[in-house]
Amino acid sequence: MFLKNAIVALLIISVINGFATEPERSAIQILTYRQEPDWSAPWRFDAVQRAGGSGFVIKGKRIMTNAHVVSWCRQIIVRKYQDAKPYLATVEYIGHDCDLALLTVADESFFDQLPALDFGELPKVRSTVVTYGYPAGGEEISYTRGVVSRIEMSAYSHIGNRRLLTVQTDAAINPGNSGGPVIQDDRVVGVAFQGIAGLENTGFFIPPPVIQRFLKDVEDKHYDGVPLVGVHFVPLQNPAYRTRLQLPDNNLGTRVDYLRPHSSASNVLQPDDVVLQVGEFPVASDGTILYQSNRVFCALGFQLGQSGDTVPLKIWRAGQEQNVNVKVAASDEDQPEGNQFDVKPRYFFFGGLVFTPLSRDYLGAATRDNTEGSGTDLTYELFYRSLEEPALVREEPVVLSSVLADAVNANFRVRGRVLVDRINGARIEKLADAIHAFETSTNTYDVIEFIKSHQFEALEHTEAVRANTKILKTYGVPRDRQL
Amino acid sequence: MKFLHLNLLWAWLAMLPAFAAADPTAVARLWEKSVVKVEVSRNLYDYYQPWNRRNDRSIKIGLVVGERQIITTAQDLSDRVLVRLQKGGRGKWTNAKVEWVDYHANLAVLTTDDATFWSGLQPAKLNGQAPAEGAALQIIRWREGKLESRSAEFTQFAVRQSELSSISHVQLELSSEIQGAGLGEPVVANSQIVGIVAAQRGRTCKVIPAAFMRTILAARQAGNARGLGYFHFYWQPAENPASLAHLRLPGEPRGVLVINVPERPDAGEQVLQPRDIILEIDGFDVDLQGDYLDPEFGSLMLENLSTRGKWAGDDVKMKIWRDGKPLEVTYRLPKYEFAHSLVPTGVYDQPPDYLIVGGLVFQPLTVPYLQRWGNDWERRAPFRFTYYTGEEATRDQAGIVILSQVLPDAFNLGYQEQRGFAVDKVNGQRVTSLTELRAALQQPKDKFHVFDFVPNESLQRIVLAAGDAEREATQRVLERFGIAEATQITPKAAALK
Repeated sequence: MFLKNAIVALLIISVINGFATEPERSAIQILTYRQEPDWSAPWRFDAVQRAGGSGFVIKGKRIMTNAHVVSWCRQIIVRKYQDAKPYLATVEYIGHDCDLALLTVADESFFDQLPALDFGELPKVRSTVVTYGYPAGGEEISYTRGVVSRIEMSAYSHIGNRRLLTVQTDAAINPGNSGGPVIQDDRVVGVAFQGIAGLENTGFFIPPPVIQRFLKDVEDKHYDGVPLVGVHFVPLQNPAYRTRLQLPDNNLGTRVDYLRPHSSASNVLQPDDVVLQVGEFPVASDGTILYQSNRVFCALGFQLGQSGDTVPLKIWRAGQEQNVNVKVAASDEDQPEGNQFDVKPRYFFFGGLVFTPLSRDYLGAATRDNTEGSGTDLTYELFYRSLEEPALVREEPVVLSSVLADAVNANFRVRGRVLVDRINGARIEKLADAIHAFETSTNTYDVIEFIKSHQFEALEHTEAVRANTKILKTYGVPRDRQL
Repeated sequence: MKFLHLNLLWAWLAMLPAFAAADPTAVARLWEKSVVKVEVSRNLYDYYQPWNRRNDRSIKIGLVVGERQIITTAQDLSDRVLVRLQKGGRGKWTNAKVEWVDYHANLAVLTTDDATFWSGLQPAKLNGQAPAEGAALQIIRWREGKLESRSAEFTQFAVRQSELSSISHVQLELSSEIQGAGLGEPVVANSQIVGIVAAQRGRTCKVIPAAFMRTILAARQAGNARGLGYFHFYWQPAENPASLAHLRLPGEPRGVLVINVPERPDAGEQVLQPRDIILEIDGFDVDLQGDYLDPEFGSLMLENLSTRGKWAGDDVKMKIWRDGKPLEVTYRLPKYEFAHSLVPTGVYDQPPDYLIVGGLVFQPLTVPYLQRWGNDWERRAPFRFTYYTGEEATRDQAGIVILSQVLPDAFNLGYQEQRGFAVDKVNGQRVTSLTELRAALQQPKDKFHVFDFVPNESLQRIVLAAGDAEREATQRVLERFGIAEATQITPKAAALK
């Protein structure tokens, strides 16, 4: 009976979807022309780069691909299987945290005769998958076959500070494969997205739970992001620690080690709470849950739904079990700590001094030449201060990024890459404070103090105001601010 | 007798330069009775396994400078087991004593009671004057039984950090083709000692000048060597005239700007304040770059005025500009002690400290510990640890204790992978030294030890059982991993009080 039904179902699929046996028809080649800003000279862009990737057609005349394939793009061209004609595409939705994007094509005839691919379930470990895409090394479509090696939470390198569900395969995934479909039984079970340099036969793809969440997220025409709980869970396996928390030795429970400052769980959870169950998933003492037969880190339990959802938890506190609800929410509060995309770097320019907010992108650009010791204060401010000295955290630490030489500032010893502490005595919490300090100054000399060397520089205010336009022109800076 | 002897030597030296300059072999011959080889057997410690030590032997060069007195650099003399001397570049080794060593000055005086060693040796006089630019110099050392003399060219005098300490004083820079120098080799200009080589990097040799050694030895002789002092404040050059104008300094731009005045490690009064302009130190005008004109060495960085004929505890007069007015202040030089730094740059003549409890290994954070990441440890060691080296010790935070590793045992199951955290509190008490850690471990909380780490993204708390189980586990770990002692804590020189 069961078998018969299955056969019928298969027949129906093949009748309705006449092209299902040829997913390559739905695999798309994407050519891009991208241009990234120079974060250390934030008014300027680097040279245009030609890059490429893959994608595939899904329901609703959309192309799915990776966010990193289409970030910073000035132009996106898509091409069909064995069709020379270039079509122009645009980004409709993009999720940098989960590295997924949806494209539309202006000329809808692009989708004629193109079957939309359907999504399958999370593939089983050891099952076989085939990737379709347009990787480097040739022009035509390429197929690689592999098995699902393992399934776990790992870092998504596009954004740099998120860990989501990931599938590892030994099918070759090379540059250009990105965004291409990973197929099993004619259904998409993943989007190829990254590899690890130096490791052989390890490619990674984004699995259906992450893809489906993304598609549901954008149903309201707005991408909110993967919900976060902002809690650091650690294993709880030491017998003494368990005894101290009066917890039975039953191999269950993960300990709350700390909560991020803006964690949505901070009014519900506290350090040394033990989480016994996330949603429907019991949590083991190593911090993992069993998700579709895979042992994965329990943070997954908070990421399956949408921003604003409530996740029920069973916790252990003061020797007792309790049920609590945690609201999860997408957050961009830690955005400066991750890579940013498709934004114009903010800056303010005064008397040849360029001020910009501290971010991971800025830090990367400023320390690219790897000068000894450069950027250590910036690194501390960006990644450690909020943990160690939350009382001293600034909303948006401001960097004096560079000093564009002019008679008015030529005697500065500080040449940039330093954190601004105060201007004219006022503590600079954010870029707007720096602008306010200069624009409202009635001082003969504006005094800028820096962290943590305590160095300071003085600038003749009226001279700097007078020279401003000239310096902008000299260095080809289009305007004195970008906010 | 001694007087006569030295006078004769003088006369002998005075005759030599005419031919010595032309013939390096002759130069060598001139010094073979004053230059000796020094062999040091020493303990080297492994800061990753601080209970381990291995034996090491190094060869240095010494210079006979007075009656039964040999001077050399302090390098490689730390943690010594045996020091021996050899004259003439070959033959018998004679056991030596280290009479005096100062790691900050990077100088040591050796001697031996064996009278036969001294026969045939002639003291050299540290009479060398500052060489002129481009002056031809020779570096002298024993090599394979022969006295080798290699030419070197004087480049400049510069105020540089001592090799073993953060103290800065005037040093001489030479350029030479010699290789492997930096072991105390004398540098001579004909018949005069110019200095001894402290280090070599590429073609550049860093030399401790004769004048610096002369002052220190004289002070030592007079019982005045109280150790080197230094300026415990930070300044920036005043090259931006707007900064000086903002501080209302009239006249020609001059002086440097005081920017940071941390607590003094000797709890002394800090007479300077941020935003002071230092105009004059010890009678010398300070220019915009922070240099003064030294009568002997020319333009030098002002830091040298903390060691130029001065010792820790001495007063240095300064003329400063504060709040739009001139002011004279007296700066008492603090003594430089390694233990006063938040992360000591040097640990000498003592094994590394550690404390093992239940397999958790705690160590104080020191630069020698960080150096296990190699010469480029500043790039390769964990960022947070490296960053501490740029922070100041305070009354509340005199040092950093880290969990350096976990030696696995059933007792510490679940923590085996944990390492690399700075300790904040143990059993609720702040811990900034192993002594404090040991004390905190005496007061467990409800039969548990609670270790709280400085907030980090990996792990902030560890709990262990206290009492018998803990003592048994520690004992088991010691036996299983072949460690003799659970703790090694050397009493510290008094730090911030």
